[in-house]
Amino acid sequence: MTVELEATGLSVRYGGNVAVDGVDLAVPTGKMVGMVGANGAGKSTLINALAGWSRGTPVVRGTVRLHGASMDSLPPHRRAAQGLVLVPEGKGIFSELTVIENLALVKPPADTTGRHVFSMEEIHELFPRLAERRHHKGRMLSGGERQMVAVSRALRAAPRVLLLDEPSAGLAPRLVYELLATMRSLVDRGLSILLVEQNVRATLELVDELYLLERGKVVARGPAGTMRNDPRILEAYLGSLTG
Amino acid sequence: MNIAQQLINGLVLGSGYALIAIGWTVLLGAARLVNFAHGQLYMLGAFVAWAVMTKLGVNYFLAVPIAVVALGLLGVVLQGLMLRPVMQQNLTSLMIVTLGFGYVFQGGASRLFGGDPERFVSPLQSAEIRFGEIWFTWQDVLTLVGTLVLFGVLWLVLNRTRVGAIVRSVAEDPKLAQLFGINAVLVYIGVFVFECAAVALGAGLVAPRSPILTSMGFDEVILTFVVVVLGGIGSVTGSLVAGFGLGLFTALFGALVSSAYTTAAAFFVLLAFLVLRPRGLAAR
Repeated sequence: MTVELEATGLSVRYGGNVAVDGVDLAVPTGKMVGMVGANGAGKSTLINALAGWSRGTPVVRGTVRLHGASMDSLPPHRRAAQGLVLVPEGKGIFSELTVIENLALVKPPADTTGRHVFSMEEIHELFPRLAERRHHKGRMLSGGERQMVAVSRALRAAPRVLLLDEPSAGLAPRLVYELLATMRSLVDRGLSILLVEQNVRATLELVDELYLLERGKVVARGPAGTMRNDPRILEAYLGSLTG
Repeated sequence: MNIAQQLINGLVLGSGYALIAIGWTVLLGAARLVNFAHGQLYMLGAFVAWAVMTKLGVNYFLAVPIAVVALGLLGVVLQGLMLRPVMQQNLTSLMIVTLGFGYVFQGGASRLFGGDPERFVSPLQSAEIRFGEIWFTWQDVLTLVGTLVLFGVLWLVLNRTRVGAIVRSVAEDPKLAQLFGINAVLVYIGVFVFECAAVALGAGLVAPRSPILTSMGFDEVILTFVVVVLGGIGSVTGSLVAGFGLGLFTALFGALVSSAYTTAAAFFVLLAFLVLRPRGLAAR
């Protein structure tokens, strides 16, 4: 089994605060890996660091490899161009640009070896709603539609690995399952995805492997089937359902 | 007073205001960079064109494009020097840095070109057109047409092309743009080059109206503030409307009230606007 994305000893500091502390993780080719944890556990900081991106000025240590190639010295726009594509939490599209303009900002790469190319037709098949809304500006869309545009934008970039930071935040429960199921269908077509989620139940049903992050450290990891019965997961996240 | 003549004067003045302001407002809108060297860049544009004409014997119609290119190249250098504070959006430092650039340009220009008033002459300045009582020059026509063409092209590029969408995306959220694979550095360099080149074009077309001095700085382009704020920061159509509005206002105010107080009156209008419509004409 080949590894598409690998991080070793990844640490992120903000001033004196250690937000992520020596995390090792691997996303195997064509698999979906979930990362769960409480608010403030460092999930977003971690996934942003993989993309080399932040709205602040963190100090990042450790190495990130995409299909064996080091990403460490690359700025975020270069990592995106290499196929390490992040859909950030919250605001993921431009509100003053139309749906079409948002999607056209991204240029599919010339060399598509190892990349997962999505044509506009395929994107409209995945999210038929976007075809109807293509001339609407970002700020006129609903939360769910914005998330669809954000994901579509990432797919247009022909990702090797898709990094999704809480795509379900702010969406109605039915939409959450719909969106995550769509993501799972992409994995079944060969795409590799790292998904950061608060919604542990939904995540466990979809991912191949799950990591549990607490205070910046990975405290448990394993196949989804095993993690479903892990006492830490049961206690903290699924307690009310199984108890 | 001849109203028709004042209206023409107003349109000509207004196209000059709009032309001189456009680079500044695009830069401010896209990079949030307040460029206090704008007046000295205007001065440099005029002096480069003047020097190329008088020292090298190049004619006016080639000297202005040369000045535009020269200032554009200067823009690359300046933006390169300011890259770090621009990327960190350290806006206070940037204001001070541009203020410093302005003084460096002014000192450098006075060493290079001398401190005396010079005549930067366009051959079209003396080519008059008369209709009965009304008169204007071919230079006025060139300024008006040049402004309309530049604004038209700029509007199309910003609103109808991928490059324009990239500039608008960086203006809205440079960090998010990085995730779309956009190199914000190149966009910042591009808009700064546009600012420098556009003000050089403005100087090339407007400065021949009066003698030029290396000490002419922001005073020469002071109405840029009024145009930019009235038009709404970063708005192309807003700047054009505000430029023409201001031109007509100054022409009529000068003719009807007193030309000595036109700048003060223009700023009074600006204050009134800021109170009543803080986001400018373009605000929804």
